[in-house]
Order: sequence, then C-alpha cells, then structure tokens
Amino acid sequence: MGVACLELRDVGMRYGDGPTAVSALESISLAVEEHQFVSIVGPSGCGKSTLLYLVGGFLHPTVGEIRLRDRPIRGPGRDRGIVFQRYSLFPWLTVHDNIAYGLREMGMPRPEYEPIVAAHVRLVHLEGFERRYPRELSGGMQQRVAIAQTLACNPDILLMDEPFGALDAQTRRILQDELRRIWRRGTQTVLFVTHDVEEAVALGTRIVVMAARPGRIKEVLTRGFDVGDGDEFEANPAFADLKLHIWRSVKEEVDAARA
Amino acid sequence: MRRRDLLRPLPLLIVVIAWQAASASGALPSWLMPSFFDVAKSLADLVGSGEILPHTLASLGRAGTGFFTAVIVGITAGVLMARVRLVQLALEPILMLIYPVPKPALIPLFMVWLGIGNFSKIAVIALACLVPIVVATFNGARSVDPILLWSARARGTSEQRLLWRVVLPAALPQIAAGVRTAIAIAIIVLVSSEFISSETGLGYLIFSYGGVGAEAAMLAVVLYLALLGYALDRVYVAGLRKAMAWHAFAH
Repeated sequence: MGVACLELRDVGMRYGDGPTAVSALESISLAVEEHQFVSIVGPSGCGKSTLLYLVGGFLHPTVGEIRLRDRPIRGPGRDRGIVFQRYSLFPWLTVHDNIAYGLREMGMPRPEYEPIVAAHVRLVHLEGFERRYPRELSGGMQQRVAIAQTLACNPDILLMDEPFGALDAQTRRILQDELRRIWRRGTQTVLFVTHDVEEAVALGTRIVVMAARPGRIKEVLTRGFDVGDGDEFEANPAFADLKLHIWRSVKEEVDAARA
Repeated sequence: MRRRDLLRPLPLLIVVIAWQAASASGALPSWLMPSFFDVAKSLADLVGSGEILPHTLASLGRAGTGFFTAVIVGITAGVLMARVRLVQLALEPILMLIYPVPKPALIPLFMVWLGIGNFSKIAVIALACLVPIVVATFNGARSVDPILLWSARARGTSEQRLLWRVVLPAALPQIAAGVRTAIAIAIIVLVSSEFISSETGLGYLIFSYGGVGAEAAMLAVVLYLALLGYALDRVYVAGLRKAMAWHAFAH
C-alpha cells in the first residue's frame, strides 16, 4: 500500500442555509494513494461533480477537510489540473496557445515551454493542428486539447469531470484508451467522474459508487486485475462481473432517486 | 454563395428603377421629389468638384473623435460595472435613464455648457455612442462562462490577471457588436449636431441645400452619407473578421 496523497475527511457540502438548505454531499471520507486512478460513478444529483470541484478548490466544503499531501486545500492550484466536460478551452487561443497557457502563466520562457507544448501535441495526436482555433475542431479533438492543456502543466492530480460525456461512442472509446495509456506511463493520480459504468471500470483501478440525496459514498471497489493497453480485458469474466455488480449498485440508486 | 452575393443589391436596384420610372412618367413630380438621375448627377458634381471633401473631413473628424472617446470610456466603464458592484450600482440607473433619451435633443443643452463649436458636437456624439458600448461590454463581461474562469485559475492565473486573460477576450464578441452599433449612431447624431450652428460638415450641407430648395443636392448628400456609413460598416466588419478569426460571426 502506498501513501495517501489526497485525503477527504468527513466532507460535507450544503447549499444555502436554514430549512431550505440543500445537502449536496454528506460525510465523504476517502483516501487516494499516489498514481491511483479513481473512478467516481453515480446517478445524476449525487454530487460527484461537486466533489471534484471541492478537490479542485473552486468550492469550499461546509464541513470536514480535504488534505493534499497533508496540507489543507485553500483554493485552485497548479498541483491539480482539471478537465471539464466541454467548452473549457479559451476560444481566442490556438491549440498551441491553449496548451501553452498554463506554462506561460508560470512565467516559463519560450525556449523552455515550446518543447513541452510540442510533446503534448504529439501525446494527444494533434500534429498539424497547432494553429487551429477550438471552434475549428471536433468535440473529440477539443477534449484532446483540454487534456494536453492540463497535462502540460504537469499536475500531481488530474481531475476529470465527465471529460468524454459529450462525445460519440467511438471517439469516447478511443480517448479512453489514450487516457489509460497516458496514465500508465505517467505518475499522475486521477479522479475521474462519470455516469458511465463501463467507463468507470475500464479506466479506474478503484471505483467509488455514490448515492444521491444526499450525495454520499455507497461503496468503494478495487479492480483487482490489470486491463493492460489493449481491449482484451473486455473478454475477462472478472471485468464483466465487476461491471455488472457496479451497474446493479448504481441502478438501485437511480431507482431510489426516482421513487 | 457567389450567386447570392450578386443578388444581394437587387432590391436596391428595383427601388432605384422604380424611383426613376416614377419620375420619368410624371407620377412623381419633381417639386415633390427629384428624379434619381438628378440626385446621382448632383452627387457626381459634389464629389467631382471636390466640394464635398472638406465637409467629409470635418464630419469624420467630429464623428471619429466622439466615437473613439466613447470606445475607450465605454469599455472601461462596462468592465468596471461588471467587476465592481459599487460601480454597477452607481452607473446602472444613470445608464438606464440616458438609454431612451434621443441624444440630439441634448444638443442645445451641450451648447450652453460647452459652446457652439466642435466640442459640444463631439460630446453629444460620444455620449450617444457610449450607451451601446457600455451596455454590450457590461453584458459581455458579466456573462463570461464560469468554466473559463475556473479553468484559468486552475492553470495559475491570479484574480487580478483574470480580467486581461479571460474576461476581456471572452467579452470581445459582444463588445465588437456594441461598437458596430455605435458606428451607425455616430453618423446619425453627427448629422443632427451639424444642423445647428455649423459652417462645415455633411449635416450642414444637407441643411443648407434644403434651406435654398436644392433638393437634388440635399438628397445627394444623404445618399453620400448612406454610402459612407455602409463603407465604414463593411471596413469594420472585415477588419473584425480578420482580427477575430477565432470567433464564428453570425453575419
């Protein structure tokens, strides 16, 4: 067992106060180790995105504490990179300038950041598109840029809020494989929010299932087998079993939310 | 695309032909309205003789000074309103009050305050141009997608730098639309301001030709203004498309 790099201690989040207050998250406790890939899956309204925004430092928990490398989170920081579902690129910057954005903000001189930008353009297979603007790219390419933009800053933790949720099934599948490949070769710890059970299991080494109203952790599962780089894992009965288990767990929550 | 571009001026052509036909057939007597050919000939004379040039320059000087002042003041005020609550509370009611006022109605007042020279004319043009620019900038700067602000903050942009890095560029398409409206307004208010106590300018020309019953020449200047306004708008839009290639313009 590795060292906990991210720790949520009894975190709660309420919007508003008094009798009309809405509890988005309740008593969330979770320890994430270095280079884990944690999928967070659950029905809509279970606060999984809120949880990510809390770790990102964009929101502040009403109770509890979130510690990163044993220091409390006070706001957004470069140690945490975030990829949103869509429309997070700066429309007025080219692909190149979007990827260079964080490096320039650090004050890194051009000769230093150019090779980093070029390497990340290659990493997400966007050679030849450096001078294009986001609106000239497909949704899948835009998400590739967003991932490159985030990875270029070399964050310790990658926060991903349904990054492939708005893409078609094929593009989504290809980007999932790419993300897994990038993660396996890198050192990043990933928190990946999704409502897609298959995606959660295919990517996450740990899968957090959440329940809604109020948002809380229902169960945490560990994927005991490696899925490798290819697509052979799909034929693995253990993969199917885990997927079915999680789907039933999520479905219970969806049904409960509907009742 | 190309065929549609060729067809675009067709409605104008039909109006001109109908106008000329009505004049030639006697349906539109010349004491009511000069024929299109007479107006076109007057315009050719005004331009050919060079008579219109100094008036054009005088007008463009006034409109340009007022307009550019409004751009600088308007964008600054709009951004401040969007970012500083106190400024918004202070300026919003004033802006809402000024919005529907026909700005030329303020010319006599401005003349009392600022004299009958160029200064009062420029001030009223600036005020009229200011309103759409402030409103557009305010709305643009206020409606920046919070995801972009979060994205920038997560990548190391400080609160102070957000304005330059994200808020202004994100608001630019709306600001540009407000500025475009201001170009048309500048010309409208310019002409009104030159009707009174002016010895130069296109508004002065219209007023003086109208006063001596030279309707063809008067309409020639109106036509000239329309063409000038159209040309300014085209140049602006073309420049914008080049400078803001990243944005998908609707028009």
